[in-house]
Amino acid sequence: MTEKIKVVSVLPDLLGTYGDSGNAIVASRRLALRGYEPELVTAVLGEAVPADGDFYLIGGGEDGPQAKAAQLLNADAALEAALDRGAALLAVCAGFQILGESFIGPDMNPTTGIGVFACKTHRFDGPRSVGELVTAPTPGIDGVPELTGYENHQGVTELLEGTIPLGMVLVGKGNNCGKRIDGAVSGKAIGTYMHGPVLARNPALCDYFLSLVVGKLEPLEDVRLERAHAKLYEERIKEAYKLR
Amino acid sequence: MKRRFLTLHVNAAITISRIASWWVRKLGMGDGAALPGRILLWLRPGAITELSRGLPAVLISGTNAKTTTTALAREALAGSFQVISNDTGANMESGLAYALTRCGGVCSGKALGIFEVDEAYLPLIGRQLETKIVALLNLSRDQLDRVSETRLTSAKWRAYFQANKDVKVVANCDDPLVVYAANGASNILWISAGINFFQDARSCPECGGEIHFTTSDWRCICGFERPLPDIEVFENEVEADGRRIKVDLALPGRCNVSNAAVALGICQVLGVDLASAVRRMSYVSEVAGRYRRLSVDGRTVRMLLSKNPAGWLEVLDIVRDDRSVVVAINAQVADGRDPSWLWDVPFEFLQGKEVVASGERAFDLSVRLHYAGVEHSVIKDPIDAVKSCVSSELSFVGNYTSFQELRKRIDSSQNPRLARLHRLGDRISL
Ligand SMILES: [Zn+2]
Repeated sequence: MTEKIKVVSVLPDLLGTYGDSGNAIVASRRLALRGYEPELVTAVLGEAVPADGDFYLIGGGEDGPQAKAAQLLNADAALEAALDRGAALLAVCAGFQILGESFIGPDMNPTTGIGVFACKTHRFDGPRSVGELVTAPTPGIDGVPELTGYENHQGVTELLEGTIPLGMVLVGKGNNCGKRIDGAVSGKAIGTYMHGPVLARNPALCDYFLSLVVGKLEPLEDVRLERAHAKLYEERIKEAYKLR
Repeated sequence: MKRRFLTLHVNAAITISRIASWWVRKLGMGDGAALPGRILLWLRPGAITELSRGLPAVLISGTNAKTTTTALAREALAGSFQVISNDTGANMESGLAYALTRCGGVCSGKALGIFEVDEAYLPLIGRQLETKIVALLNLSRDQLDRVSETRLTSAKWRAYFQANKDVKVVANCDDPLVVYAANGASNILWISAGINFFQDARSCPECGGEIHFTTSDWRCICGFERPLPDIEVFENEVEADGRRIKVDLALPGRCNVSNAAVALGICQVLGVDLASAVRRMSYVSEVAGRYRRLSVDGRTVRMLLSKNPAGWLEVLDIVRDDRSVVVAINAQVADGRDPSWLWDVPFEFLQGKEVVASGERAFDLSVRLHYAGVEHSVIKDPIDAVKSCVSSELSFVGNYTSFQELRKRIDSSQNPRLARLHRLGDRISL
């Protein structure tokens, strides 16, 4: 079984400030370890985002580059086309914000997003949301335990009617919209405020994300890798509760 | 800093902060500058301006290599000036204040301040001193939970230069974010000090467009482009003032030749002979404990400090020929609370070496190393990690607090009296 899978890291030079490029590394490797043949494509500034990808990963970044990324992704509709075709998407922080209907640009005005998630992001007047974030995944995200990550943002993301969050916040702020929720799920698109990177912190979420396209996955046989993941996961959850 | 109703006489404040410094060092509670500096500023809020009156100041800032470049510049200039400097790496207001207690407001005509300054504090500190020269090294992602993102820092620097036109700038022309900031000044000396981490530099700070890089040049379609260097760095030579000078340093790595070039830029602005400046720089063999070789349990450990992706690219070059490397990652406030930057470091370069993941965040590092295909063991305690190595010579690479912690523990393990004092210090800092 060697199925070719295209993993696309979207504009990591604009939206990859917080180590989120690691998500593409983790996703590709976990496919390869199961016998798939992942091709990791890095779509940097100046290159078109390929429309024939299977997985799209987009990360966090600064205000200026965030607005630039939104402008580029709005101009070429590759991402929407791929999602319509059945591709999966993981969007983190600034990447999550621009995939909503609107976000606050560097000029402090609402800017049109890509509209993959039915949500709107404002700017929080209070202190920046910085620190460990733990959530309980929304029912329907099968077999995924509590999620752990690190948030660092100024956003308030309101989910519009009918949009479900990725998780209920147990520690931290998440969307910071007064409802103790983090992120959003829309079809095969997942949005979150979790850095870490989130797929390195939560291998179960990575496997769930991969299963959206390739179907149910067998557990990994790389015992040492999974043990390393388990140790990191347990430590982060435990430490986050201590901080609460 | 809160305003206080009563301020102590400046000499009394200095004496108290000096006593505090002595105890802080004895108890192993830090470098003996930051905390005493805070005490000084609390007792005497205007101390920085007051103590630096009449002292021309050179400030060195950037994400990486501040401490090393400051050490090289300090050594190079010590032949011509009476140099006052923050030599322990304490580079915020408190560290500056404590360093200034050495001149006590009565500086001689030959006195010169050479200070490394935290990138976020550069405008604030620049305004409090009689700043003559600012050297800008580089800007890249670091401690994002504390320091603002790089573009914001660059814009703040630029605004500072626009408002202080008499400040001369010595700047790295290879880093677009540095050039954007320096362009706010009217008197600039450009150094081709290089750039190794491009992730934060690809989008244009002027227009947001794409910057095109070639091996030795960069430009954006909007017209923002690399200025021509006044001082150019070659392999281990520097071309300045129309002549080539060989740079032979005791410090390892290509990065330090670039740091020396920036220090030479400062010397050139001050009219110091460059050949003798280079000679003096070669005396620098360690910088605040970095590059020092320590002995642990019969092993020689070379101490290296690296705290972000750009710094790691330099370190990977330095440890290229090492057989064993212990990497210790902490995530204290001084390190940045989020070590996800580990995923921006190409750890694949460590493949084939004996590698030990250590420090409080050894598990984050371990997962990263697995995905980089690096065989390793995990030993959280850095001394145990060093002792586990097969090689008798190894490099230890720590980020800020893990580096300081290992230094302190090695010192106290070799001196029982020191160990007792350090234990007392640990109890106090709790
Ligand atoms: Zn431009």
